[in-house]
Amino acid sequence: MTDRFDCQAFDELDAALVLGAVTPDEARAALDHLGTCDQPHESLRQLLGASEALAMSLDPVAPDRRLRDRVMATVERTAQEHRGAPPITRAPEAGPGRGWLGWLSPRIARPLALAAVAAVLAVGAWNLSLQAQIAQRDRALRAVAEAISGGEEAFRVDGSGGSGYVVETPGTGAALVIADPASLPSDKLYELWLLDAAGTPVAVGTFTPGGNALAVVRLERDLTGFATFAVTVEAERLDAPSNLDLVMSADLTGS
Amino acid sequence: MTDRLPSTDDALLAQRIRSGDRDALGELYDRYASVALATALRVVANREQAEDLVHDGFVAVWQKIDRFDPMRGSLRSWLLTVVRNRAIDRLRSARSSIAIEVADEQSLLRTSPNPTWEAAIAHRSAAQLRSALEALPAEQRQAIELAYFGGNTYREIAVLTNVPLGTANGRLRLGLAKLRDSLQETDAAPGASAQVAGSSGAER
Repeated sequence: MTDRFDCQAFDELDAALVLGAVTPDEARAALDHLGTCDQPHESLRQLLGASEALAMSLDPVAPDRRLRDRVMATVERTAQEHRGAPPITRAPEAGPGRGWLGWLSPRIARPLALAAVAAVLAVGAWNLSLQAQIAQRDRALRAVAEAISGGEEAFRVDGSGGSGYVVETPGTGAALVIADPASLPSDKLYELWLLDAAGTPVAVGTFTPGGNALAVVRLERDLTGFATFAVTVEAERLDAPSNLDLVMSADLTGS
Repeated sequence: MTDRLPSTDDALLAQRIRSGDRDALGELYDRYASVALATALRVVANREQAEDLVHDGFVAVWQKIDRFDPMRGSLRSWLLTVVRNRAIDRLRSARSSIAIEVADEQSLLRTSPNPTWEAAIAHRSAAQLRSALEALPAEQRQAIELAYFGGNTYREIAVLTNVPLGTANGRLRLGLAKLRDSLQETDAAPGASAQVAGSSGAER
């Protein structure tokens, strides 16, 4: 049902609209209809607020008290959209010109942009031998990583899911720079972890592969105090490092 | 009952958050994190995932607060919509989901929500709201729960419950209308809250 709605078709779907139980096409058609219709659609108005009542019918569940710290730590380093900075997403769309430089300081954003352009060009110019391609891509990635970290150390990330670097910028935070995320299965959610020396995991974000040659994923925690960085596939949880099926990992100890 | 504070407080909180006051976001968290977690948990049925979704929901409110319009509903409603939509996305990541901006019921009309629902939320406990929901005919309640907590479209509900499209959609309409009427009646009646739980049979 992708056609435009008339008033009757709109009214018939009022409850489904309020509950979010329509297809994206139907939702768009409904909004298009409202944009041009001068009828009050009273039956829909009578239902607005129902979804909140459904949510409020559940008994509240107290979160782990560390969740508040996590939220506030993320908010501390997250810009608001209306204040001029682009939004930070946990599954960023990579590539110059799409906003992923926004969370970096101006001091490093420019060289990073230049390096990223070089990296994308390098990744796209795969007409060399496989070995040369890998070396070229690695150089390009390292250039991006070093540009982000402003000369600080970048930690190599490797595994069956690809390769990249984990970097940390003083005052800005840590990020994963990964090459060719489009090669990863697109229907999976990838989870990022930091582990301390004892192997205790902390979730630091997620990302979904985009169609770009390069992705920069911001971590929710700094690297300080952690020994290992790891990436797992959707729903993989770290009960213990020994049962972790890694997609990618990095040693952060420098050893 | 801190979850049921008046929305005027929410409007002030929204103003402070918009001005960049992180403490206000903390207050919002203290006020509604447990409700948001209950919603996320009901959808994804996984505590860790649910807490991740609550985290993301509050961060999204912080980032996108400029899109919130207090004339179209409460900050709590907006937060719960964001968390619920993300939970549905997580639940059904393979399915192309409706963008938050599109699915958000605030965008459906340029008017505020019906006062019956707001009054019910303000004056009823979770158990009382749940009782009103449970008083619906089973097939209507099931359709509503499959839609809101299961993230199914009415078309999918028709398949899941083996009924024609019109029947599935009709159950959603009838169910919500009955729920609204039930809450409205108990609002108007003396000793309203005690009557909600006892009205199950009459609604059928």
